[in-house]
Amino acid sequence: MAIQVQGITKQFGTYRALDSVDLEVRSGELLALLGPSGSGKTTLLRIMAGLESPDAGSLQLNGEEALGLKPRDRQVGFVFQHYALFRHMTVFDNVAFGLKVRPRDQRLPAAEIKRRVMELLELVQLGHFAERYPAQLSGGQRQRVALARALAIEPKVLLLDEPFGALDAKVRKELRRWLRKLHDEIHITSVFVTHDQEEALELADRVVVMSQGRIEQIGTPADVYDHPSSAFVYEFLGQVNRFDCTVEGGVARIGNGALSIATDETVRGSGVAYVRPHDLGVAPAVGGPGRVSGVHVVGPDARVEIELDGLNLEAEMDRERFTSLGMVVGDRCTVQIDRARVFAR
Amino acid sequence: MPANATASALSDPAWMRRLLIATALTFLGLFLLLPLVAVFAEALRRGVFAYWVALVEEDALAAIKLTLIVAVIAVPANLVFGVAASWCVTKFDFRGKNLLITLIDLPFSVSPVISGLIYVLLFGLSGLLGPYLKSEGIQIIFAVPGLVLATIFVTFPFVARELIPLMQEQGSEEEEAALVLGASGWQTFWRVTLPNIKWGLLYGVLLCNARAMGEFGAVSVVSGHIRGYTNTMPLHVEILYNEYNFVAAFAVASVLAMLALVTLVAKTALEWRFGAELAATRHK
Repeated sequence: MAIQVQGITKQFGTYRALDSVDLEVRSGELLALLGPSGSGKTTLLRIMAGLESPDAGSLQLNGEEALGLKPRDRQVGFVFQHYALFRHMTVFDNVAFGLKVRPRDQRLPAAEIKRRVMELLELVQLGHFAERYPAQLSGGQRQRVALARALAIEPKVLLLDEPFGALDAKVRKELRRWLRKLHDEIHITSVFVTHDQEEALELADRVVVMSQGRIEQIGTPADVYDHPSSAFVYEFLGQVNRFDCTVEGGVARIGNGALSIATDETVRGSGVAYVRPHDLGVAPAVGGPGRVSGVHVVGPDARVEIELDGLNLEAEMDRERFTSLGMVVGDRCTVQIDRARVFAR
Repeated sequence: MPANATASALSDPAWMRRLLIATALTFLGLFLLLPLVAVFAEALRRGVFAYWVALVEEDALAAIKLTLIVAVIAVPANLVFGVAASWCVTKFDFRGKNLLITLIDLPFSVSPVISGLIYVLLFGLSGLLGPYLKSEGIQIIFAVPGLVLATIFVTFPFVARELIPLMQEQGSEEEEAALVLGASGWQTFWRVTLPNIKWGLLYGVLLCNARAMGEFGAVSVVSGHIRGYTNTMPLHVEILYNEYNFVAAFAVASVLAMLALVTLVAKTALEWRFGAELAATRHK
């Protein structure tokens, strides 16, 4: 089911959480709402679920106006950041809840409900835990119960609020893969909120980057990472070197002109240049302008900090290449910018 | 270093512990246990027969019956009001919320005598609504309705005070989850909210009940002390005592004391029996 968001605005007191947001969620895709806290991403998700109502704008679920619908009539599955499992119910009863509260004429027979719940628990690999209480489960298990519970009502859309936020790094990674696999199997239109760019880039079909109640950019993970459309997206996605520069005749000069970048932007005057650490080429050179001020080699990558004309740069390369260069702290070097992006101030 | 050496380093010396325990026990004995024993001792001073006679005497029975009637009306009323008030304070944001919370506490901060007086000033013969009520033939002051009103007022905060912190801590995520899953507001209340607050609610009701039966000040002002009609147990005790009828006074007092003890035992038993579940509903 597709979701159409148009001109959604939401104000909390004097704080504008969403400022005329337009968004289309395509049927069957897995979409990430990515942004720092306070960017309005959770508010947008809650508006889709009907847990919050906007001050202005329209929301269409599958082409039908949905703002007038109560949450129960929207056929959405919602997974809460802290799971919100019913603490006084067993895992089985948690998952069965949505089926049991249906009006009598739509309710399935008890045996059918049982079969369905057990099927879902098998799907989330928790078949043996049906009689446990939420307090007796680990964080990852609780999250999967929450997912099974949301799926039980056969929603047309699955909405997840920071689904992995409360989990430790290892479980988070496992669960992320598992969710991706699950989505590939059942193809339910899904929207998840996250502040973790790695999570959004790895998991989503498309990423929506949000900031201060507005959408900054929408695109595939590769799109938004390689072609950020604004300074904010550049800074928010991945590591980046940020330089103040002056642009004249298609050339951006950084600092006192120690580094320059050719730019085809329509930027003039003062600007900001962004360079990803892996787009900085570093080579040892006796008497070179730069000086290696720090080296961090962890895992397959090497991070090299360089001082150049009062600027602090960060370069990244793979470990083998770094070893072959044979640089140590204090060495002189040259610095070359392979790729950069300049925005007007 | 052996473990017990660490333990002793962290705890107070033995004489200190004994002193503290002895002090606490002395206080408890002096101020709680001794008076309680005295009540029963005085009540039984002339023997079990005199005790029994004092209890089954017509006015005493009427007082016991009246106290139960008042409690049976006031406690359920406050159960409903308390849950409703806590629900709207914790699950919704609205203007004047802090004012409402302050108002809920009002009966605790106002002297019970004043609480009673308020009703006299409102519903009494020379009160605000007095003439109208008289013309309609409705009597509130010096009658059962006044007793019930005063008791409801005085015991109003017990349930709400118990529930508000609990519901605030639990938040409303589970209710939201229920709504998204298709539950109606009513289903959400019965299946999600109520099970989560049931033990706190029971606490509140027990305390509310204890106070409703034991209330003296507010009830005394509105009652008029008409024997056999508007005397609740605490008022009856006072009258008997003022008439130097000590055995009867203490006999009725002992019944009140027993009600309090039963309440305490019930509370402790619940804690003991459902301790784990209580802890589970209080914390996520």
